[in-house]
Amino acid sequence: MGKTVASKAEKLSISTLLISIIPIVIIVLVLFDTLVSDGFSAASSLIVGLIILWVAVICGVLATELFSDFFRTNGRLLGSVMLGLVAFWIIVLILLPQLSMLDYSFRYNLPPSEQGGPKDVYTLANYRHLIYGAGGGEGTYNTVDLMVFLRTIIAAMAVTVADLILCYPLAYYLGQSRGSGFVRLLVVLLIIPYWINEILRAFALKIVFADGGILNAAMMKLGLIDQPIDFIRADVALYAGLGYAYILLMLFPMYNAIESLDRNQIEAARDMGASWIRIHRRIVIPHAKPGITSGMTMVFMLSAGALAAPQILGGPSSLWFTQLVYQWFNGSLNWQQGAAYAIVLLVASITIVLTFMKIFKVNMGDIGK
Amino acid sequence: MRSNILLSRIALGLYLVIFFTYLLGPLVIMSMTAFNSNPFPTIIPWDCFSFEWFQVLANDERILRAILNSVIIGLGTVVLSVAMGLAASLILTQIWPRWRSTYYTIIIAPILIPGVVLGISTVVFWDRLSRILGPATDGLFHNGIFLTILGQSTFIASYTMLVFVARLQRYDPGLTEAALDLGATHVQAFRKILLPFMRPAIASAAVLAFLASFENYNTTTFTFGRYPTLTIELAQKVRYGINPSISALAFIIVSLTVFGALATEAWRRGRIKAEAERNGEAVAQGRSILPGFLRGNWAAGALVLFSFVVITLFWTARVYSPDQCKAEVRAAKQAEAAKRREELLRRRAQQRMQQQMKGPDIFTPSGKPAPAEGASTGKPAGGKVPFGSVFDPGNLEGQSGTGAAPDQGSNAAPAAKPSPFGSVFDPGNLANQAGAGADGESGEAPSEKADENGGEKPAPPFGSVFDPGNLKGVGGGAGEGN
Amino acid sequence: MAGGVGVDLENLWIRFGDFVAVRDANVNINGGDFFSFLGPSGCGKTTILRAISGFLQPSEGRVLIGGNDMAGIGPNKRPTALIFQNLALFPLMKIWENITFSMEVKGASSAERRKRADELLEMIALEGQGDKLPSELSGGQKQRVAIARALCAEPDVLLLDEPLSALDLKLRQHMRTELREIQQRVGITFIYITHDQGEALTMSDNVAVMRAGVIEQIGTGHDVYDLPATPFVASFVGENNVFRGRILEVNGTEALIRTNRSGDLLAQITPAARGVLKPGDEAMMFIRPEALSLVDDAGAHEKTSLTAKVVNEEFEGNSYSVFLEGDGGKRIKMSLPNVGQDRIASKGEDLTLKYELRNAVVMPAGELAAE
Repeated sequence: MGKTVASKAEKLSISTLLISIIPIVIIVLVLFDTLVSDGFSAASSLIVGLIILWVAVICGVLATELFSDFFRTNGRLLGSVMLGLVAFWIIVLILLPQLSMLDYSFRYNLPPSEQGGPKDVYTLANYRHLIYGAGGGEGTYNTVDLMVFLRTIIAAMAVTVADLILCYPLAYYLGQSRGSGFVRLLVVLLIIPYWINEILRAFALKIVFADGGILNAAMMKLGLIDQPIDFIRADVALYAGLGYAYILLMLFPMYNAIESLDRNQIEAARDMGASWIRIHRRIVIPHAKPGITSGMTMVFMLSAGALAAPQILGGPSSLWFTQLVYQWFNGSLNWQQGAAYAIVLLVASITIVLTFMKIFKVNMGDIGK
Repeated sequence: MRSNILLSRIALGLYLVIFFTYLLGPLVIMSMTAFNSNPFPTIIPWDCFSFEWFQVLANDERILRAILNSVIIGLGTVVLSVAMGLAASLILTQIWPRWRSTYYTIIIAPILIPGVVLGISTVVFWDRLSRILGPATDGLFHNGIFLTILGQSTFIASYTMLVFVARLQRYDPGLTEAALDLGATHVQAFRKILLPFMRPAIASAAVLAFLASFENYNTTTFTFGRYPTLTIELAQKVRYGINPSISALAFIIVSLTVFGALATEAWRRGRIKAEAERNGEAVAQGRSILPGFLRGNWAAGALVLFSFVVITLFWTARVYSPDQCKAEVRAAKQAEAAKRREELLRRRAQQRMQQQMKGPDIFTPSGKPAPAEGASTGKPAGGKVPFGSVFDPGNLEGQSGTGAAPDQGSNAAPAAKPSPFGSVFDPGNLANQAGAGADGESGEAPSEKADENGGEKPAPPFGSVFDPGNLKGVGGGAGEGN
Repeated sequence: MAGGVGVDLENLWIRFGDFVAVRDANVNINGGDFFSFLGPSGCGKTTILRAISGFLQPSEGRVLIGGNDMAGIGPNKRPTALIFQNLALFPLMKIWENITFSMEVKGASSAERRKRADELLEMIALEGQGDKLPSELSGGQKQRVAIARALCAEPDVLLLDEPLSALDLKLRQHMRTELREIQQRVGITFIYITHDQGEALTMSDNVAVMRAGVIEQIGTGHDVYDLPATPFVASFVGENNVFRGRILEVNGTEALIRTNRSGDLLAQITPAARGVLKPGDEAMMFIRPEALSLVDDAGAHEKTSLTAKVVNEEFEGNSYSVFLEGDGGKRIKMSLPNVGQDRIASKGEDLTLKYELRNAVVMPAGELAAE
């Protein structure tokens, strides 16, 4: 549908103008109606219906005009199915739920009878709760939740960096030694844990790290320690588990990026006397940057948003921020508070990712490649 | 120079070993624990080679129902996310260049949105919608399967979209035009030209979507309603008490994954070889007793080997009986336990004497929750007892000191079915029993170290069989006694 | 199919945003013609083809096939078949399935399709190859399959979008002859797109030469080659020597030009510029390299001869090319058949060349084709 946009624009503006007259009429009617009847009535709900109708009409007109080329290349039926599916995905599954969660986060947790009533007004209380705690008073801060939040973000960053350091050599090795059966074997070995359930992977680590787990039992048997070390309480299990859970999402994008690097470039650089460090800094890493960013973004977002690993491997005294969200939602049944916490998590982690992408000058388009 | 290369090779090898140990080691250990009769999933005190955990698993109706739910949800997610991903990728190839990056950002975003957020937003939105549209929609919009499919598809469609975009980059839109030009309708052109071209991508996207749906936890945990998926059930079990029947399930899943990965790789290599042969490349035609498809195809070889091992394992399961071994282990344990009980009785008598001097008896066998004093003193002891903290749901939730004794018993209960071996597998004393197993089996007689910590060890295995409420009290008593 | 179905373009404009791809094209293509659109890449010829086949809607004007307005009729409903530049054979279908795809979509039985495929395979000399996949065929064979596939749809008009450009030189020349033969056998209208003037001239009944969205000339191959309407056509179709200058006098269909460098020369005025060209106008005169020859008797060709210094000489087997100093740094090229001479001239020598008046054509000055 590419290039014909400009010529369509003229036609578009005319028909939009024509259709725009309808809402003006409707708005006048609404104003008149509210003035006369003082509140919602049957007439006003009729008008609401009319507005919805108008929106539908304008969307239809927009669609047929904007997408006329689209329909020509894809046919009416197929084109409508495709547009319908994508519209459903973007609007009903992505945008509206996020918006309604945002809306929820600004409301009070009221019993159903009072919802929509006079008490159902917008408020910042849910956000205030994160900062000041239940009292909402001056001077006192909700240190518990804030610490959990900070710890989650910082630990997720640390996990990301650890995964990066752990994966880079392997990604380079796999990416640059191509073709051999051994490398394929390694790749297959990598893929296998990738498809094992997240819970089972956490369970596997729990077997290893539990008080009476393999690690403690083995070390005690070897006489290295005489009392089991509480890896769970020390959060060793948690960090190992988080790193473990998403390590392959770091490895594969990097591997793909490095694989596409022409070997001759490295050899040319070596020929010119560049040291290994310089080769990596000037050639490999810049080339693999989209892959590295992609991996780091994924690992960070997934670690910060992880729920299973902290629930299973987390120590009794250390909570993950998602667990707070979970508690508000499933424990306290305070969806509004949970929504607010979820929004904070979402906004914070996206802001961090975008900031880092800006610093390292990477585009959104590189993610997922 | 030479030694340098050698050194770097050693370093590389070491690094690879460490990396893959980290990656695969826990999975291997987890799979092995499925065959240990020890009721705590471990391999270090190896009791008996046994298949009983598979039996326990096969009788676990919750797990079976959860698998069914997972399959239904997985199939729904596959259909929805493949359709949406395909449509989105087709539109991506046609959209105006200046809108492309915005559009791409929107459809890739669900991958980056935390699953928790997706789950919450899905539940909130459909709840709200059903309230707007009235009670007629109530059933559907609060249905766990419906919500889970939608919630998962939101981000799984992004994955499938990426698969399709990669494939579409090699598609010549001229083919569709050629079909139209030859008189095909748009639907015919789609069905006969584009769809066959996309078939491999659709297959891999479907597999990807199904696996992603099957293993999803973060989103599903908010949306599942009355239809817990396998992952949810697993998480519940793992959170409230681990036992080797989970390992048995894990072993099955690991096996299936290994099998799938090897089969795919074998198929891939077979195709590459066929291609090479067709292109007239010389393929070594050495004399070999191996059938053709195995030659030069390590993956096929590994596949055959692996299948052989698994079949042997399950064939063994039919004929092999661990009864005798278990009886021996049990005898050893009983001897051990008897010894301990004597010791404990002795101590208890001592304590009683002390307490009688102090005041009221807190060990009334009433079956009620342990008195506050017992619970609070039990806590620090639990921290040191090998499995106390693991099985305490309160600990997992991070709410220290709230786990009451009866809760503990009832939470541990569904984790394992009663088995013919009586007390060893009694769910009620699982925690205790496991603890006894863990150190009791490490040697014929309790080691010096164990004796030193003796006071902190859990109560004797039989004490708790009768009354879960008792358990905490005894533990607390032991702790206090120390 | 006597006569065949004609195609008419009436005041056809096609715009992509602000960019005009086709500007006011008016073409009448007779039924049964082999008609070519010839022009450099980006001149809009493929756009015209896509408008005829229905993949593009004209911004203005009409496309008529057999006298019927095609507005709003999709590509699958038009009596045209298109052969794509890259052929667009369906890679996952066997050859016979490819060829009879147009029957498949109409619901023909498999047996019918096989029968028709065998007929067509025989026609393109690929008997017994029907069960192969496209990837197993050579370039020339794929080419013929694409033609058979298009013909199987029994179109009234066959559209070909530079179908030979991917082939090597020998095969390309062979396919030219074959295409022409096929066209004469089936008797339907062929519309052919190419940037290769050799292809256009050998195969076509009529040629339209395009530049930057504008059709500069429509005519037979002879017309376009011998009497180019514009400097662009003159320089794009075949090799040509250009002489710039001003008109001195006009005498009926002839004009005398004062060239910048080669003195006063006589040429015939191209039909399109007759009555337009006046004394004093800036003009361009063109003489083909093969129309130049060495003067045997100086003086007899007073206004149709010129003298220039030899720069270089190249032996090309069947001919010699002699390059002489020409107008504005350009060289004058003369080709002479090899009839056994050792050489024509030596470097630096002054040569006097003559031409026949009918071989020199003059027109108002304009833009030349890029080299």
